[in-house]
Amino acid sequence: MAKSICIALREGALEGELAPALTIKDSIASPFGLQVFDHVLSQLFSSILAGKSPSQGLILVSFSRSPSFYLELLKNKGINVASSDKRIHILDCYNDPLGWKDQIVEISSTVTVFREVKHMDKLFNSIIELGRGLVGGGKIRFSIAIDSVDEMLRRASVSSVARLLSNLRSHEQISSIFWLLHSDLHKARVTAVLEYLSSMVASLEPSHQLANGQRGDLENFALIKHNSKKGKFHVRFKKRNGRVHVMSEEVHMEQSGINFTPLTSEGAINQGLVPKVQFNLQLSEKERIDKANVVLPFEHQGDNGKPLQIYDGRRSLVDSKHERAVAVENVQTKEESESESESDMQRGEIIYYRDSDDEMPDSDEDPDDDLDI
Amino acid sequence: MAAAKTRSSSFSGNLSSAASSLGPGLKCGPNGTVLLSSGIPDLDKILGGGFPLGSLVMVMEDAEAPHHMLLLRNFMSQGLVHSQPLLYASPARDPRGFLGTLPSPAASKDDKSRGPEPDQEKGLRIAWQYKKYFGENQLNFDGQRDGKHKYSNEFNLRNPLERHFINGQRVDCFSIQDSPDLSILQDRCTTFLSQLPRNDGSISCAGRIAIQSFCAPQCVYSNMEWEMLSFIRSLKNMVQSSNSVAIITFPPSLLSPSFCKRWQHMADTLLSVKAIQDDDKELAQLLTGYQDMIGFLNVHKVARINTQVPVILEATTFSIKLQKRRYLILECLNQAPVDGSSGTSYGTSGSCSSSSKTGNLDF
Repeated sequence: MAKSICIALREGALEGELAPALTIKDSIASPFGLQVFDHVLSQLFSSILAGKSPSQGLILVSFSRSPSFYLELLKNKGINVASSDKRIHILDCYNDPLGWKDQIVEISSTVTVFREVKHMDKLFNSIIELGRGLVGGGKIRFSIAIDSVDEMLRRASVSSVARLLSNLRSHEQISSIFWLLHSDLHKARVTAVLEYLSSMVASLEPSHQLANGQRGDLENFALIKHNSKKGKFHVRFKKRNGRVHVMSEEVHMEQSGINFTPLTSEGAINQGLVPKVQFNLQLSEKERIDKANVVLPFEHQGDNGKPLQIYDGRRSLVDSKHERAVAVENVQTKEESESESESDMQRGEIIYYRDSDDEMPDSDEDPDDDLDI
Repeated sequence: MAAAKTRSSSFSGNLSSAASSLGPGLKCGPNGTVLLSSGIPDLDKILGGGFPLGSLVMVMEDAEAPHHMLLLRNFMSQGLVHSQPLLYASPARDPRGFLGTLPSPAASKDDKSRGPEPDQEKGLRIAWQYKKYFGENQLNFDGQRDGKHKYSNEFNLRNPLERHFINGQRVDCFSIQDSPDLSILQDRCTTFLSQLPRNDGSISCAGRIAIQSFCAPQCVYSNMEWEMLSFIRSLKNMVQSSNSVAIITFPPSLLSPSFCKRWQHMADTLLSVKAIQDDDKELAQLLTGYQDMIGFLNVHKVARINTQVPVILEATTFSIKLQKRRYLILECLNQAPVDGSSGTSYGTSGSCSSSSKTGNLDF
């Protein structure tokens, strides 16, 4: 499914459509955004080199990492940038974003330094110019990768960044575009804006949610360790027909790079069997114990097997004989119950007037059991 | 197809004189209002005839789906077919391009038949969702009242609107992306609406204003929340005293919650569209016809003009479908037959939402 993202970016935009845009979103709980970005970048670039894509070149706008890192990265993936026929160009917004240095040492011919990061329209023009320089003018398309939108948002307002991205998307020469975002660096509205502007949102989440505020706990330590190697990768695609396609995968960090595997259903089983309704059908342990302790108002179910005396207003013949004895007992039980009632306020009085003396005490039978449907 | 139940009060205006002097595409509504069509016949039925002149319609978009564009397209096309002047503002660089995607009215020959399948059994059938079949009778009555101009058309989304509708018109498009503040939009709306004053006499033509994605993030003014709210209020006032209907779509997720609520209160008619997840097995089990649905439409508020009586709809959530991939239809949600063996009862329908993603489905 990370494959489907790469395929969507590779295929690019149809005529008259906005270019597909991917937001890669991560957070401190699952910080693999940069690795996912590298993965998508190398996949897209290899497809461009192999000629599988209508896009003929790639412009990489690097804010958070040095261009030499990317050149190394591509070399390690087996892509020789020098001989790749000028298909990639890096716009370096890392070395001197605000134009403080007097001289810049040029790293290579594939890198251009950009020094006015505060001005989004100038950035836009540079990107388009570089792209045209790479693939020529006319109808030939190129793709764009933006290292980290966070750096852009540091210096420019949200609406100017949004304008840049939407203008890039609607430019006729742009085939596809993707960017990285660290969601916990911004207010929720900024994340919402970037999601609004993109056609695919890939978010990284930890596979186990940590309990809040208990980071010192040993249990959570194991979870943190687990989360530093693994995570969940969710993608929401906005399809052309207006439906949203949601997919999930597991992501593992390894020495060689990043691996995507289909989701194991360990988490899913717990939620599958219980019907999802708006109220809680499960009992916690305490609730179970309390339920067993509830005294039901049946006459034969008293405390400790003693029959529960229920005041019934009429004194039956049987009872009047035992009245005095009962009265004593009652006083005693009253005393007991008084001391109990302080701790157990829920015990109420049951006042039950018998219809006749012949009436049998309540039984445990459920009268509905007789029904034969 | 839920129809709004309009209660006839003992006070009824003198409508007979007004009916004859209405321009094309207008009809008399309850309580002395004049209605114009939204371009979607199903939506007109739900809202009790159409949008009343002088009302402000707001549509809450879903960031994940472009269904508000479908509503706007039909609205604008309907206006152009009836030669009603149109003002269209959008955050895109080239709003005129959007006019090229407007649908053309469906030819009356290939009028879609929405009835049950032609090969019905003659014998007794159990109508599982019997309310579906009530609407058939009504369809025949709302047919063509006067031969020349239909009040509302079915639009074929596959065929683009003919050029002559767009060219010979008072169609004004402009982009709101680069305006530093809302004064330009305000001026344009004022000029547009000044051509359509409301007098007591006849209404020869009514105008339509469509503002798309009003608080889109690429607009410069998008963080000026109070200014945007004042604009909406002044637009609402101007529209109220003119013969026009304004429709504004906006993505609520990009506004702060308090402003989102304020904007919703500004609307006379409030709709919202929602995306549907693909391959959602729970939803497929819960609803029939899930495969054909492309989204949901919720009706939150229906305009109440000249009356204190609220419009209470039978259902407020409708599914958006494209019939034959051309015609936009809205259908009531129908719960799928419950599988008796699983033991779940009807208690799971209605307000209980089976998955948090769908939100509240109101059957």
